[in-house]
Amino acid sequence: MAVGTDARTGFDSGEPHLQAMLESSLDCVVAIDGHGRIVAWNPAAERTFRRPAADVLLQDMADTIVPPRLRDQHRDGLRRYLSGGAPRVLDQRIETVGVRADGTEFPVELTITRIDVSGEPLFVGYLRDISDRVAAEEELRASRARIVAAADAARRRIERDLHDGAQQRLVSLGLTLRLARDQAAEGEDVTELLDEALEELTETTAELRELARGIHPAVLTEGGLDPAIAALVRRCPVPVHRTAEVGRRLDPAIEATAYFTVAEALTNAAKYADATRIEVDVRCEDGLLGVEIRGDGRGGADPSQGSGLSGIADRASALDGTVAVTTGTGRGTTIRLELPCAS
Amino acid sequence: MTSVLIVDDHAGFRRAARRALEAAGWHVVGEARDGEGGLREAASTAPDVVLLDIQLPDVSGIDVSAQLTAGPDAPAVVLTSTRDPEDVAPLLPRSGAAGFVPKDRLTAEAVGAVARRSLDRPDSSAR
Repeated sequence: MAVGTDARTGFDSGEPHLQAMLESSLDCVVAIDGHGRIVAWNPAAERTFRRPAADVLLQDMADTIVPPRLRDQHRDGLRRYLSGGAPRVLDQRIETVGVRADGTEFPVELTITRIDVSGEPLFVGYLRDISDRVAAEEELRASRARIVAAADAARRRIERDLHDGAQQRLVSLGLTLRLARDQAAEGEDVTELLDEALEELTETTAELRELARGIHPAVLTEGGLDPAIAALVRRCPVPVHRTAEVGRRLDPAIEATAYFTVAEALTNAAKYADATRIEVDVRCEDGLLGVEIRGDGRGGADPSQGSGLSGIADRASALDGTVAVTTGTGRGTTIRLELPCAS
Repeated sequence: MTSVLIVDDHAGFRRAARRALEAAGWHVVGEARDGEGGLREAASTAPDVVLLDIQLPDVSGIDVSAQLTAGPDAPAVVLTSTRDPEDVAPLLPRSGAAGFVPKDRLTAEAVGAVARRSLDRPDSSAR
């Protein structure tokens, strides 16, 4: 540590405003000499690495904040550079890994610059803990992957529903009509066969209508959220009380997300939670669409189980919205979706 | 009279196929709704022909067909499906089946024509 430096941080005590700047920095500022020893360590570094300056000044930097597996690489790089090698990490932002006093590792963004003020090279590292950003990026990647997987699963489900349902019914219908034609040609009474064919046709139409509604309900496209939710409520086997309506059209993506949230919540409440009463509150206020579905059933819904609620959370997240599930055994379940919507 | 076993998980199709085949004079000796039941029924009824859906709820109809045609005295297997014939064609060689009839073109004549390829084969073990 040079003469005139602050004994606590290693910074030049003759420049109080510079020292104050470094001490108030939210980023870690760590300086090392040509031997790799720490000669400056600001309070942000103390907080981030959980090591007081007094413990680290003049200690080997690699041993202090570099994970053991990367230490040799760091030392080799410094040695190579000081022997005349081309700089590989100077003056650019890189992402690497740091280690705290307790041995836990975390991602850091690091910039190293070289300054020469007293003849001897000094390397200053500016570091920030980017754990939150990396975690958010990983969650974003996972969310995107879930959205893609959900879209693939939806396509497979539609193919299966069409194949197992309407397609099979139409095939049977064709066989029945062909037989009726052959028998009619021979003068036989085919009334029973035609009745059966008509029944099959009615069931096929109903099945296709149900399937089309599941893909994207026409009432939502044509009438918006209020009539679409009214239709969901009418079909729900559990009494549903609506406490508010939107009263206007919204962006189609917002309407679809709100609709499928209500549909999923009503299905869950009626099918799995044995609810006896459900309240649906959908309102748009102050640029925010709030959708709340409260069921009095068993409770205990787990958003991490099953793709329904997590799929809704992904949809909401893609629209900068949030989904909150409040539940507890015997206390029912409340699902609240909030989406920004232009006024 | 040609005996036939119908293996398909869709009851409506089994009913309609049975009527179509019986109207043409075939003897429907049994029905099964999945692969396991199909193998069991085939063993107990020894049909001339098995009309077999490719997409069964428990196992692939292709695998069931391969099992049915592996042994001696194997029936002629006629695969059927709502799928496009061109999607099914690559699956046929390993099935051992006599051929494929799309469900929407299913008639006793069509099933009979395909089954005869196997039944009439001189070196065939099929009945």
